[in-house]
Amino acid sequence: MSIRRVFMILLKDFSVGPRKPFFLWALILPFALTLLFQFAFGSLFEPKPRLGIVDQGDSVITTAVQNLEGFEVSILTEVEDLIGQVEEHDLDAGLVLSPGFDEAVQEGEKPALEFYISGESLASNRIIIAVTAIEMLRDLEGGEAPVEVETVHLGEPGLPISIRLVPVIVFYALAVAGMWVPSSSLVEEKERGTMTALLVTSVRVNEVLAAKWLLGFLFATFLAAVTLLLNQAFGPRPLEVMVVVIIAAALTSMIGLLIGIYSKTATMLFTLIKSLGIFLFVPVIFYLFPDWPQWIAKLFPLYWVIEPIWAVSIMGESLNQVWFEMLVAAAITLALVPLALLMKKRMLA
Amino acid sequence: MKKSIPGNRIILFIIKKDLLVYSRNMIYIFLTLLGLAFFVAIYWLVPDRVDEEITLAITPPLATLLSEGKQALREQGVPEQFLEELDEVEAAFEEEGLVLVEVESEALLKQVVSGEMEVYKTDQGQFIIHDPEGDQEIPAGATRISPGIGMSFPRNFFSEAVLQQNPRVTVYADSAVPPELRGAMEGYIREMAYHLAGKDLPVELPDEETIILGEDRMGDQISMRSKMRPLIAFFIMMMETFALASLISNEVLQRTVTALLVTPVNMRHFLMAKALFGTALIMGQAVIVLMLVGAFTISNWPLLLVILLLGSLLFTAVAMLVGAAGKDFIGQLMYSMLFLIPLMIPAFAVLFPGSVATWVNLLPSYPIVRLLYDVTIHGALWSDAVNPMLYAALWTLVIFGAGLLVLKRKVAAL
Repeated sequence: MSIRRVFMILLKDFSVGPRKPFFLWALILPFALTLLFQFAFGSLFEPKPRLGIVDQGDSVITTAVQNLEGFEVSILTEVEDLIGQVEEHDLDAGLVLSPGFDEAVQEGEKPALEFYISGESLASNRIIIAVTAIEMLRDLEGGEAPVEVETVHLGEPGLPISIRLVPVIVFYALAVAGMWVPSSSLVEEKERGTMTALLVTSVRVNEVLAAKWLLGFLFATFLAAVTLLLNQAFGPRPLEVMVVVIIAAALTSMIGLLIGIYSKTATMLFTLIKSLGIFLFVPVIFYLFPDWPQWIAKLFPLYWVIEPIWAVSIMGESLNQVWFEMLVAAAITLALVPLALLMKKRMLA
Repeated sequence: MKKSIPGNRIILFIIKKDLLVYSRNMIYIFLTLLGLAFFVAIYWLVPDRVDEEITLAITPPLATLLSEGKQALREQGVPEQFLEELDEVEAAFEEEGLVLVEVESEALLKQVVSGEMEVYKTDQGQFIIHDPEGDQEIPAGATRISPGIGMSFPRNFFSEAVLQQNPRVTVYADSAVPPELRGAMEGYIREMAYHLAGKDLPVELPDEETIILGEDRMGDQISMRSKMRPLIAFFIMMMETFALASLISNEVLQRTVTALLVTPVNMRHFLMAKALFGTALIMGQAVIVLMLVGAFTISNWPLLLVILLLGSLLFTAVAMLVGAAGKDFIGQLMYSMLFLIPLMIPAFAVLFPGSVATWVNLLPSYPIVRLLYDVTIHGALWSDAVNPMLYAALWTLVIFGAGLLVLKRKVAAL
């Protein structure tokens, strides 16, 4: 095998890469996913009580509710709209503040409270919203509560969902760059006939495969690192994080290479990635739902690369604490090398 | 002279040809089945219960708090009639949605809240406090619960509150407890004290019946697993768009369609065959998956089949639009995304209410998702489904028409 020829092929791939849609896709995806998961869907996994208010009289309650921590507050103008949204469970509860409501409360007139709760709202949310609303009314009424409440916080705060979503985003960076880039590149060369042209020169199949693996490896390492950086998840040991990212990129690129060798056409490639993608994605779900039995995740190959990334970058652990997982990941990668060499005949067929 | 072949037989031949292309590809069949199996497996892995309760630890136990409070008030000469009203406070802790774990001491309460001591709930509804480092065994069948918040009342809380002596209550909260819950529990204590001090609410509260809008599902919430039923069917249909678009795209790209058109196959046959094959392929998979997740019932199966047919037609039409562009695989994949990402949004709008703007109701896939959700989760019947079904049919007709037209023009231009 000629290292020089491997790098020549790699350089060729990098020089034509920017014109290829899959390169662009691989580059854009981590950024797009970071935006999508962190800002758009981050709140879906930890839903906050949603309260709607129709304020017909410039009540101070509206301002107070808007400043509350942990609530999603919507200000609406029409009562019918509020009722409709509560009924559809787009809101957990709705409050209508009539004109002169504040004054009536302060003067002890006991005005009627127009308050609605969605039938689909969780019992816990109903209690939280109802008690909070009553607190607001008590504050409006004025006076001191006849009790002193002191709160003591115990333990370390749990991980926010934005952090728990990091494995999902890193998985996509690794999967798209590590699996998609080398496999697409190989299949495209096969479909366009450039692979045949390449193999009638002095270039050997092993060299092409090594170049494609390197392409995926470099891309996956770079994109996984960028993704962690974007999500501020490099933790206290950035160099150690890079070591686990490199091992993860090596494995995902090897899987990508095998997919590329096996797929004769782009359709087959897509089918393989679609089906294997579900299989490979499974361990990531377990980071979103830590209450699930975690041993199941260990049955899936990418667990052994996602777990070290999680442990070192998010949990701040050292490499010593994840050596076994890294060893398993490296062993899987090495075990796949003979398989790739066995399958290389498909490249010549 | 050759006998002419009936149109339906020609269509059947093309479908058979497409099916043959698919069936020859064993890996495609294997992986498609594997993909379906994974969707089904994920469905069964997702929890089937909704935790809608607030688990709260208190000390001293409520009975102690109440009896000692009453005793202290008796000693102060408070009439017995008033003391009976204190039982209302006890009832407040039995409200639906609150799970009360009563512990003997403040020290134990802190250990329970911080997780140093574990709490298990038995089948009989009893709570067992378990030391994970001790020898005591966890009762069989008991499930672990985590009171993230605890209230430590002074033993004379009731009497002090009634006599407005400003008692002091300590709330212990695990740092993972969300601020809105912490705030609500603090408010709960204050409201209890207001009530004991005889200070009524400054408003008239409406009746519970008038404030609950829609079906009251307290204690019977829709689990994530149930919500996944329509989601899985929808995503299976959507994913097959890629495969079908690729099939059409290949016909265009490799010009096999022009070869077909010099045989007795005409454009109508070709389009009809693609539409039928695509619809059957998409619908077949969706039906299999919905059967495996137990979505079909005796009452809903005809309605569900019609909805799946509409959804399959819609995604077949999208596949025709995408495939007609005749791009290479990667180009076609990116082109598919342009159509499929907007079509995916309604799934989130329906499954996660309040998360997405209401304009998504206008998207073509919205009525399909809505119908799948309402039928598989709320047991909607034909009468409930008429309007969204008409809406879905209208969109399907428009996109299908567009798909056929674009594909026809593309094939004619080859």
